[in-house]
Amino acid sequence: MPLPIVIADDSLLARKVLTRALPPDWEVDVSYASNGREALALYREGKASVMFLDLTMPDMTGYQVLEALQHEDLNTFVIVVSADVQPMAQARVRALGAAAFIAKPVTPEAVLPILKEYGLYV
Amino acid sequence: MSEPILTEDQRDALQEVANLAMGQAATRLARLLDSFIELSVPRVKLVAVTEAAQALREMTGIEDTVSAVRQGFRSDIKGEALVICRSDCIAQLCSLVSDPYARSSYEAVSQTELMFDVANVLTGACVSSILDQLGRTPVFSAPGMLGEAMTLDDAFQPGVLQWEVALLVEVNFALEDHSFRAHLVMLMAEESIRHMSMALDALLSSL
Repeated sequence: MPLPIVIADDSLLARKVLTRALPPDWEVDVSYASNGREALALYREGKASVMFLDLTMPDMTGYQVLEALQHEDLNTFVIVVSADVQPMAQARVRALGAAAFIAKPVTPEAVLPILKEYGLYV
Repeated sequence: MSEPILTEDQRDALQEVANLAMGQAATRLARLLDSFIELSVPRVKLVAVTEAAQALREMTGIEDTVSAVRQGFRSDIKGEALVICRSDCIAQLCSLVSDPYARSSYEAVSQTELMFDVANVLTGACVSSILDQLGRTPVFSAPGMLGEAMTLDDAFQPGVLQWEVALLVEVNFALEDHSFRAHLVMLMAEESIRHMSMALDALLSSL
Protein backbone atom coordinates (compact mmCIF):
# COMPACT_ATOMS: atom_id res chain seq x y z
CA MET A 1 0.00 0.00 0.00
CA PRO A 2 1.38 3.40 -0.89
CA LEU A 3 2.52 5.56 2.03
CA PRO A 4 0.27 8.59 2.60
CA ILE A 5 2.32 11.79 2.64
CA VAL A 6 1.48 15.49 2.84
CA ILE A 7 3.37 18.33 1.19
CA ALA A 8 2.47 21.59 2.90
CA ASP A 9 3.66 24.83 1.34
CA ASP A 10 1.80 27.98 0.33
CA SER A 11 3.78 28.19 -2.91
CA LEU A 12 2.85 26.09 -5.93
CA LEU A 13 6.44 26.37 -7.14
CA ALA A 14 7.75 25.04 -3.83
CA ARG A 15 5.25 22.14 -3.87
CA LYS A 16 6.41 21.24 -7.39
CA VAL A 17 10.10 21.47 -6.50
CA LEU A 18 9.58 19.21 -3.50
CA THR A 19 7.51 16.67 -5.42
CA ARG A 20 10.30 16.44 -7.97
CA ALA A 21 12.88 15.91 -5.25
CA LEU A 22 11.19 12.73 -3.98
CA PRO A 23 12.58 9.38 -5.16
CA PRO A 24 10.72 8.63 -8.43
CA ASP A 25 10.01 5.03 -7.44
CA TRP A 26 8.84 5.84 -3.90
CA GLU A 27 5.32 4.44 -3.52
CA VAL A 28 3.40 7.31 -2.01
CA ASP A 29 -0.03 8.83 -2.05
CA VAL A 30 0.59 12.60 -2.04
CA SER A 31 -1.85 15.15 -0.65
CA TYR A 32 -1.12 18.86 -0.90
CA ALA A 33 -1.83 21.63 1.59
CA SER A 34 -1.34 25.33 0.93
CA ASN A 35 -1.52 26.41 4.56
CA GLY A 36 -1.01 25.00 8.03
CA ARG A 37 -4.68 24.48 8.77
CA GLU A 38 -5.14 22.29 5.68
CA ALA A 39 -2.03 20.33 6.63
CA LEU A 40 -3.39 19.63 10.09
CA ALA A 41 -6.77 18.59 8.66
CA LEU A 42 -5.05 16.13 6.29
CA TYR A 43 -3.06 14.73 9.21
CA ARG A 44 -6.29 14.12 11.14
CA GLU A 45 -7.71 12.29 8.12
CA GLY A 46 -4.75 9.91 8.33
CA LYS A 47 -3.13 11.16 5.15
CA ALA A 48 0.20 12.13 6.66
CA SER A 49 2.50 9.28 7.64
CA VAL A 50 5.13 11.75 6.51
CA MET A 51 4.59 15.50 6.41
CA PHE A 52 6.86 17.90 4.51
CA LEU A 53 6.18 21.18 6.26
CA ASP A 54 7.08 24.74 5.24
CA LEU A 55 7.52 27.19 8.12
CA THR A 56 6.32 30.49 6.67
CA MET A 57 2.71 29.90 5.67
CA PRO A 58 -0.45 31.94 6.10
CA ASP A 59 -3.29 30.54 8.20
CA MET A 60 -1.15 28.60 10.71
CA THR A 61 2.60 28.67 10.27
CA GLY A 62 4.71 25.54 10.32
CA TYR A 63 5.63 26.30 13.94
CA GLN A 64 1.94 26.39 14.87
CA VAL A 65 1.31 23.09 13.10
CA LEU A 66 4.17 21.49 15.05
CA GLU A 67 2.76 22.84 18.29
CA ALA A 68 -0.71 21.54 17.45
CA LEU A 69 0.69 18.12 16.55
CA GLN A 70 2.22 17.83 20.00
CA HIS A 71 -1.30 17.67 21.43
CA GLU A 72 -2.27 14.89 19.03
CA ASP A 73 -1.02 11.31 19.01
CA LEU A 74 1.94 12.46 16.86
CA ASN A 75 1.66 9.62 14.41
CA THR A 76 3.75 11.20 11.70
CA PHE A 77 7.29 12.07 10.69
CA VAL A 78 7.47 15.80 10.17
CA ILE A 79 10.24 16.95 7.86
CA VAL A 80 10.50 20.71 7.96
CA VAL A 81 11.40 22.32 4.64
CA SER A 82 12.33 25.95 4.96
CA ALA A 83 14.28 28.83 3.49
CA ASP A 84 14.95 29.99 7.03
CA VAL A 85 18.42 28.55 7.54
CA GLN A 86 19.22 30.33 10.80
CA PRO A 87 20.61 27.72 13.23
CA MET A 88 18.06 28.83 15.81
CA ALA A 89 15.17 28.06 13.45
CA GLN A 90 16.44 24.49 13.09
CA ALA A 91 16.87 24.11 16.85
CA ARG A 92 13.34 25.37 17.42
CA VAL A 93 11.63 22.95 15.05
CA ARG A 94 13.63 20.06 16.48
CA ALA A 95 12.48 21.04 19.96
CA LEU A 96 8.91 21.04 18.65
CA GLY A 97 9.21 17.45 17.52
CA ALA A 98 10.29 17.70 13.87
CA ALA A 99 12.23 14.64 12.72
CA ALA A 100 14.41 16.49 10.25
CA PHE A 101 15.13 19.82 8.60
CA ILE A 102 15.80 20.41 4.90
CA ALA A 103 16.96 23.79 3.60
CA LYS A 104 15.34 25.21 0.47
CA PRO A 105 15.92 24.86 -2.41
CA VAL A 106 15.19 21.17 -1.90
CA THR A 107 17.27 18.63 -3.79
CA PRO A 108 16.83 14.84 -4.14
CA GLU A 109 20.26 14.49 -2.49
CA ALA A 110 18.95 16.22 0.65
CA VAL A 111 15.72 14.21 0.86
CA LEU A 112 17.01 10.69 0.28
CA PRO A 113 19.26 10.19 3.34
CA ILE A 114 16.48 11.39 5.65
CA LEU A 115 13.93 8.96 4.18
CA LYS A 116 16.49 6.16 4.54
CA GLU A 117 17.44 7.14 8.08
CA TYR A 118 13.84 6.72 9.24
CA GLY A 119 13.24 3.63 7.13
CA LEU A 120 10.59 5.40 5.07
CA TYR A 121 12.20 4.42 1.79
CA VAL A 122 14.39 1.40 1.15
CA MET B 1 1.79 52.83 -21.09
CA SER B 2 0.40 49.37 -20.56
CA GLU B 3 0.43 48.21 -16.99
CA PRO B 4 2.85 45.34 -16.62
CA ILE B 5 1.28 42.43 -14.83
CA LEU B 6 2.35 39.02 -13.69
CA THR B 7 0.16 35.96 -14.01
CA GLU B 8 -0.86 34.23 -10.78
CA ASP B 9 1.70 31.46 -11.39
CA GLN B 10 4.46 33.99 -12.04
CA ARG B 11 3.56 35.93 -8.91
CA ASP B 12 3.56 32.71 -6.87
CA ALA B 13 6.95 31.73 -8.29
CA LEU B 14 8.40 35.18 -7.61
CA GLN B 15 7.08 35.05 -4.06
CA GLU B 16 8.80 31.72 -3.45
CA VAL B 17 12.00 33.04 -5.07
CA ALA B 18 11.76 36.01 -2.68
CA ASN B 19 11.12 33.62 0.22
CA LEU B 20 14.39 31.80 -0.46
CA ALA B 21 16.22 35.08 -0.85
CA MET B 22 14.78 36.29 2.43
CA GLY B 23 16.12 33.21 4.19
CA GLN B 24 19.63 33.97 2.94
CA ALA B 25 19.37 37.60 3.96
CA ALA B 26 17.98 36.77 7.39
CA THR B 27 20.93 34.56 8.20
CA ARG B 28 23.32 37.38 7.40
CA LEU B 29 21.26 39.95 9.26
CA ALA B 30 21.00 37.66 12.28
CA ARG B 31 24.79 37.44 12.35
CA LEU B 32 25.19 41.22 12.00
CA LEU B 33 22.76 42.01 14.80
CA ASP B 34 23.30 38.86 16.85
CA SER B 35 19.58 38.26 17.11
CA PHE B 36 17.07 35.76 15.77
CA ILE B 37 15.19 37.22 12.82
CA GLU B 38 11.57 36.28 12.47
CA LEU B 39 10.46 35.72 8.92
CA SER B 40 6.95 35.85 7.56
CA VAL B 41 5.48 35.11 4.16
CA PRO B 42 6.95 37.63 1.72
CA ARG B 43 4.35 39.53 -0.24
CA VAL B 44 5.03 40.55 -3.80
CA LYS B 45 3.18 43.31 -5.59
CA LEU B 46 3.84 45.09 -8.85
CA VAL B 47 2.71 48.72 -9.03
CA ALA B 48 3.42 51.86 -11.04
CA VAL B 49 6.03 54.01 -9.28
CA THR B 50 3.46 56.78 -8.90
CA GLU B 51 1.39 54.44 -6.73
CA ALA B 52 4.31 52.94 -4.85
CA ALA B 53 4.17 55.20 -1.79
CA GLN B 54 0.48 54.48 -1.21
CA ALA B 55 0.88 50.73 -1.86
CA LEU B 56 3.81 50.52 0.53
CA ARG B 57 1.90 52.43 3.17
CA GLU B 58 -0.93 49.90 2.88
CA MET B 59 1.43 46.93 3.03
CA THR B 60 3.51 48.15 5.94
CA GLY B 61 1.28 50.54 7.83
CA ILE B 62 4.11 53.10 7.85
CA GLU B 63 2.86 56.64 8.45
CA ASP B 64 6.01 58.08 10.02
CA THR B 65 9.22 59.21 8.42
CA VAL B 66 11.63 56.69 6.99
CA SER B 67 15.28 56.26 6.13
CA ALA B 68 15.93 54.87 2.67
CA VAL B 69 19.09 53.58 1.01
CA ARG B 70 19.21 53.09 -2.74
CA GLN B 71 21.47 50.78 -4.72
CA GLY B 72 21.48 50.08 -8.44
CA PHE B 73 21.76 46.58 -9.91
CA ARG B 74 22.47 45.70 -13.51
CA SER B 75 21.95 42.65 -15.71
CA ASP B 76 19.31 42.35 -18.44
CA ILE B 77 17.00 42.69 -15.45
CA LYS B 78 18.12 46.01 -14.03
CA GLY B 79 16.87 48.64 -11.66
CA GLU B 80 17.36 50.03 -8.22
CA ALA B 81 16.77 48.47 -4.83
CA LEU B 82 15.47 50.55 -1.95
CA VAL B 83 15.76 49.42 1.62
CA ILE B 84 13.34 51.33 3.82
CA CYS B 85 13.12 51.47 7.60
CA ARG B 86 11.14 53.72 9.88
CA SER B 87 13.48 56.40 11.23
CA ASP B 88 12.63 55.69 14.86
CA CYS B 89 13.28 51.96 14.25
CA ILE B 90 16.81 52.74 13.15
CA ALA B 91 17.35 54.93 16.20
CA GLN B 92 16.13 52.14 18.46
CA LEU B 93 18.22 49.52 16.71
CA CYS B 94 21.22 51.79 17.00
CA SER B 95 20.95 52.00 20.75
CA LEU B 96 20.39 48.24 20.90
CA VAL B 97 23.52 47.26 19.01
CA SER B 98 25.61 49.95 20.69
CA ASP B 99 24.81 48.53 24.10
CA PRO B 100 28.21 47.55 25.53
CA TYR B 101 26.75 44.34 26.94
CA ALA B 102 25.22 43.18 23.68
CA ARG B 103 27.20 40.62 21.73
CA SER B 104 26.69 42.25 18.34
CA SER B 105 29.59 43.16 16.09
CA TYR B 106 29.29 46.83 17.06
CA GLU B 107 30.83 48.99 19.76
CA ALA B 108 29.68 52.37 18.56
CA VAL B 109 27.85 53.08 15.36
CA SER B 110 25.98 56.04 13.95
CA GLN B 111 22.41 55.64 12.68
CA THR B 112 23.60 56.37 9.15
CA GLU B 113 26.30 53.70 9.28
CA LEU B 114 23.87 51.17 10.68
CA MET B 115 21.27 51.95 8.02
CA PHE B 116 23.92 51.42 5.33
CA ASP B 117 24.96 48.10 6.86
CA VAL B 118 21.41 46.80 7.11
CA ALA B 119 20.69 47.94 3.53
CA ASN B 120 23.90 46.37 2.30
CA VAL B 121 23.05 43.00 3.82
CA LEU B 122 19.48 43.03 2.57
CA THR B 123 20.23 44.24 -0.94
CA GLY B 124 23.33 42.07 -1.26
CA ALA B 125 21.66 38.88 -0.12
CA CYS B 126 18.10 39.44 -1.30
CA VAL B 127 18.54 40.99 -4.71
CA SER B 128 21.50 38.75 -5.58
CA SER B 129 19.60 35.65 -4.56
CA ILE B 130 16.43 36.61 -6.44
CA LEU B 131 18.37 37.33 -9.63
CA ASP B 132 20.60 34.29 -9.17
CA GLN B 133 17.54 32.04 -9.03
CA LEU B 134 16.40 33.66 -12.27
CA GLY B 135 19.76 32.85 -13.86
CA ARG B 136 21.24 36.37 -13.68
CA THR B 137 24.43 37.65 -12.10
CA PRO B 138 23.88 41.32 -11.31
CA VAL B 139 26.52 44.01 -10.97
CA PHE B 140 25.87 46.45 -8.12
CA SER B 141 26.66 50.15 -8.01
CA ALA B 142 27.69 51.88 -4.78
CA PRO B 143 24.81 52.44 -2.36
CA GLY B 144 23.59 55.95 -1.62
CA MET B 145 21.41 57.47 1.08
CA LEU B 146 18.16 58.56 -0.50
CA GLY B 147 17.17 60.26 2.71
CA GLU B 148 16.91 60.05 6.46
CA ALA B 149 13.65 61.12 8.07
CA MET B 150 11.76 61.52 4.82
CA THR B 151 8.15 60.60 4.07
CA LEU B 152 7.28 57.71 1.76
CA ASP B 153 5.83 60.24 -0.68
CA ASP B 154 9.17 62.04 -0.79
CA ALA B 155 10.98 58.76 -1.41
CA PHE B 156 8.90 57.94 -4.46
CA GLN B 157 8.69 61.47 -5.86
CA PRO B 158 8.69 61.52 -9.64
CA GLY B 159 12.01 62.85 -10.80
CA VAL B 160 13.92 61.45 -7.84
CA LEU B 161 13.76 57.90 -9.13
CA GLN B 162 13.58 57.35 -12.86
CA TRP B 163 11.87 53.95 -12.92
CA GLU B 164 8.36 53.18 -14.14
CA VAL B 165 7.53 50.13 -12.12
CA ALA B 166 8.00 49.22 -8.50
CA LEU B 167 8.15 45.63 -7.45
CA LEU B 168 7.25 45.75 -3.81
CA VAL B 169 8.85 42.81 -2.11
CA GLU B 170 7.50 43.03 1.35
CA VAL B 171 10.17 41.10 3.15
CA ASN B 172 9.44 41.41 6.80
CA PHE B 173 12.64 41.22 8.75
CA ALA B 174 11.59 41.57 12.34
CA LEU B 175 13.74 41.24 15.41
CA GLU B 176 12.20 38.92 17.95
CA ASP B 177 10.83 41.72 20.07
CA HIS B 178 9.44 43.37 16.92
CA SER B 179 11.39 46.55 17.60
CA PHE B 180 12.73 46.56 14.09
CA ARG B 181 11.33 45.97 10.62
CA ALA B 182 12.88 46.52 7.22
CA HIS B 183 11.29 46.61 3.79
CA LEU B 184 12.76 46.03 0.38
CA VAL B 185 11.51 47.54 -2.88
CA MET B 186 12.94 46.80 -6.30
CA LEU B 187 12.34 49.51 -8.88
CA MET B 188 12.58 48.57 -12.54
CA ALA B 189 11.72 49.69 -16.02
CA GLU B 190 8.97 47.85 -17.89
CA GLU B 191 11.45 46.10 -20.14
CA SER B 192 13.15 44.55 -17.11
CA ILE B 193 9.81 43.34 -15.80
CA ARG B 194 9.26 41.63 -19.14
CA HIS B 195 12.64 39.91 -18.82
CA MET B 196 11.77 38.92 -15.30
CA SER B 197 8.42 37.43 -16.29
CA MET B 198 10.14 35.41 -19.05
CA ALA B 199 12.70 34.17 -16.53
CA LEU B 200 9.87 33.13 -14.20
CA ASP B 201 8.18 31.23 -17.03
CA ALA B 202 11.46 29.45 -17.77
CA LEU B 203 11.78 28.52 -14.11
CA LEU B 204 8.20 27.18 -13.99
CA SER B 205 8.49 25.20 -17.21
CA SER B 206 11.72 23.58 -16.02
CA LEU B 207 9.66 21.67 -13.44
